[in-house]
Amino acid sequence: MTKKVEQLIRAKEIGFMGKVTASLSHEIKNTLAIINESVGLMGDLLGKDAPKDWPPYSRLTNLLVSIEEQIQRSAAIVKRLNQFAHSMDKPLVDLDLHELVRQITTLAQRFARLRGVQLEVETAPESLMIHGDPFRIQYVIFGFIERALWRCSPNQTKVTLVCSPSEDMAQVIVKDQGSPEGDWLREQIAAALSPTGISPGEQDPELAILALTMAELGGSVEIEEVGKNGNKVILSFPAKMH
Amino acid sequence: MSEYRVLLVDDEEEFVSALSERLMLRGIEVDSALNGEAALARLVEKEFEVVILDVMMPGLGGLEVLRQIKSTHPNTQVILLTGHGSTREGIEGMRLGAFDYLIKPVDIEEMLAKMKEAAKAARMR
Repeated sequence: MTKKVEQLIRAKEIGFMGKVTASLSHEIKNTLAIINESVGLMGDLLGKDAPKDWPPYSRLTNLLVSIEEQIQRSAAIVKRLNQFAHSMDKPLVDLDLHELVRQITTLAQRFARLRGVQLEVETAPESLMIHGDPFRIQYVIFGFIERALWRCSPNQTKVTLVCSPSEDMAQVIVKDQGSPEGDWLREQIAAALSPTGISPGEQDPELAILALTMAELGGSVEIEEVGKNGNKVILSFPAKMH
Repeated sequence: MSEYRVLLVDDEEEFVSALSERLMLRGIEVDSALNGEAALARLVEKEFEVVILDVMMPGLGGLEVLRQIKSTHPNTQVILLTGHGSTREGIEGMRLGAFDYLIKPVDIEEMLAKMKEAAKAARMR
């Protein structure tokens, strides 16, 4: 099987997953809309017909407000799921890297919260357009965010994403305030991209896949240490991927 | 008496039933249809200033129903309902002549404001 055919099969598989997920998110949105109208109707009927001095009145109205807030919360989650699913529609599209970074950072927020690490994104309001694979770009950025979170101590540190153009590339910088691992990261990435590699026991397989995916996307990964505490992972994506 | 007549079109029966009742409680005359074909038939029988139309329906899809409404009832204003997080269908609908679009779950006050504007536009044409 040629590499082109393998890529085509993988794109179709990812597209299938995206299609099913988008369809399910649409169904969830419909059920939320039904719950929203039913709760709204209950509130309308309560406001119209129930005596205000009826003991459970204020308790019921408070509960309805709480349900409405949870519907809005769920709708926002489903919106993120739907956007993520649509990132799998096509392997190559024109995309705004700023917007994509904002989306994937939002998806990673829960992972940061669970670790007690602050996750922030600093992107300019204007677009940073590139032609590329939104799903795989998100996969790589998420992978490096996750590793940055692991390096951080809970409740003390933060991870920041910065997005900027750089000549004919676009960069996403993942900065963390965790323990410095520059040498180890550089060694791992170089080994993953080298034909000889290093012995399987010493290779971090997930990091290797991230490095190989970056290479397949035509991009590169550079590592910088930031003082005694912190690392800077610079992901450079070509403005036009093939 | 209602200031304007609304046709609510959505294949989710419980959604249509609850929203219709909420609109009626606010003094609006509402009729409903559970698919595109039934909606077009209702429009032949009766005049509506505003149609609230779901984009994703089995059979005749919302955008096709919109095309037919704009060709046979150009004064009727259509507000689209989309369940998607993206606004793609809404924007496509606006290009086809929809008055506006709303994303589910809908805020009733926002819907009422848009319906009022749409009814005004329908009467002005």
